[in-house]
Amino acid sequence: MRAFRYALDEALSSLWRGRRSGFMATATIAVALFVLGAFLWIASTLDRLGAAWSQAAELSVYLDDRATSANRGAIEQALAPGDLVAGFEFVSKEEAAKRFKQTFTELAGTFDSLDANPLPPSYEVRLHTASAARAGVEDLVDRLRKLAGVSDVKYDRQWLERLRAAVTIVRVIGLVLGTVLTLAASLTVASVVRLALHARREEVEIMQLVGAPLTYIRGPFVMEGILQGGLGAAAALGALAAVFLVSRGRYLVPLAAALDLSTVSFLPLGPCLLLLGGGMAVGCLGGLVAAVGGEPKRVVTES
Amino acid sequence: MIESYHLSKVYSRGVYALRDLSLTIGKGEFLFLTGPSGAGKSTFLRLVLCEEVPTDGRLIVSGRDIASLNRSQVQRYRRTIGFVFQDFRLIPRMSVFENVAFVMRVLGVPLGHRQRKTFQVLKWVGLQHRMNALPEELSGGEQQRVAIARALVNDPHIVLADEPTGNLDPDLALDVMNLFREINARGTTVVVATHDRELIRRVGRRAVTLDHGRVVEAA
Repeated sequence: MRAFRYALDEALSSLWRGRRSGFMATATIAVALFVLGAFLWIASTLDRLGAAWSQAAELSVYLDDRATSANRGAIEQALAPGDLVAGFEFVSKEEAAKRFKQTFTELAGTFDSLDANPLPPSYEVRLHTASAARAGVEDLVDRLRKLAGVSDVKYDRQWLERLRAAVTIVRVIGLVLGTVLTLAASLTVASVVRLALHARREEVEIMQLVGAPLTYIRGPFVMEGILQGGLGAAAALGALAAVFLVSRGRYLVPLAAALDLSTVSFLPLGPCLLLLGGGMAVGCLGGLVAAVGGEPKRVVTES
Repeated sequence: MIESYHLSKVYSRGVYALRDLSLTIGKGEFLFLTGPSGAGKSTFLRLVLCEEVPTDGRLIVSGRDIASLNRSQVQRYRRTIGFVFQDFRLIPRMSVFENVAFVMRVLGVPLGHRQRKTFQVLKWVGLQHRMNALPEELSGGEQQRVAIARALVNDPHIVLADEPTGNLDPDLALDVMNLFREINARGTTVVVATHDRELIRRVGRRAVTLDHGRVVEAA
């Protein structure tokens, strides 16, 4: 406990004495973690979007205008609720026309001027969320396509897969960029801590000569790195929160609505803690590298 | 207390700093190591401090071959030794009191005991009235007395001093030597490296003269 308190006291006073160079290291960590945090936020938002789209995963089974009631009976039998299908709704040609005119009001007049309703009747099929990714859905689509009276089957799985691919790409880019920037931040911390160590070289020499434990010799420098990392991470989280709050009303909420996402939210607690812990770990590593590599080896001059 | 047997230290390019040095310093003894620059005085102190390991021979301190100590044993061993340098090596940003207390602070000594002991030792070297001063506000003699106080604050068994009067005028040098004599009178082994033969004569203690790493005279 005494060693911890000593390390904390010395690290705080060293940070204050070297606040200019310390600011540089803290800012580097903040930039690195801001970038990493931004990518984490984008990935988590896309994840939520993917989950929302999965919830709404559905099949559209378009019917031939000449489909008979026997054809429809066979189709409805294939769509009977079970492991894959949660339910379905028949949309007649008239209902389809009504929905089109509600959605595209400016085209309603043009639609009415047509000789006949070109929209086909269809079934809108809701799938169980868990089954959305199953290969069974593909089999169902194949079976439906072969049924008499079916003109086309649309399944929005491709969009989900593209979204998932986008999430993976965002994660990989974020991870690579974050790793490079974090390494740079760690090296900056190591340099700054080494400067502090050089400035306190005589103290360290004296500590070595009087037999001070390693926790007392290295502790303040490791602590300095941890504090710089923690401050940098806190600054990055603060900046992320500020950007989020500023852009939420103007850009994020309308964008979320356009994408069928009910709400936009800041980074979850887990990634926030991960960023904070990561910043402190990076600082700790930098401090440790500087402390171990920078300790003076000799103290007595030759005579 | 300190025994060396055929002790040699060779630096890179084959330069001998010490060559076949056999020397015994008894418990509670006061010994001068003297000789010209490059004679090996500092190297001997450095070996005793466990800053270097001998190239050949043995160095026994308090019955232990110090070349065989591991890192944590070296730390514990060094807590039994006080050291004083020619250039004082005080920490400029710390007051006199803080400089002396620093040793106990980094050894985890509780605050109350630290303050009591620091004040006692500063009083003993006659600097209790300057305890809030910074090193730069002190004379050379006062700075060296602070360094001596720092060496003593941990109650060492051995005090090593490397040219402790090198930066002082003769009167101040004798004052500092008198402090070492008082330290020795309390039973502490004192080894002082100096090239000042006049000072050795005035203090009148055993002196071993080194030259090119060998003992050339023991008196």
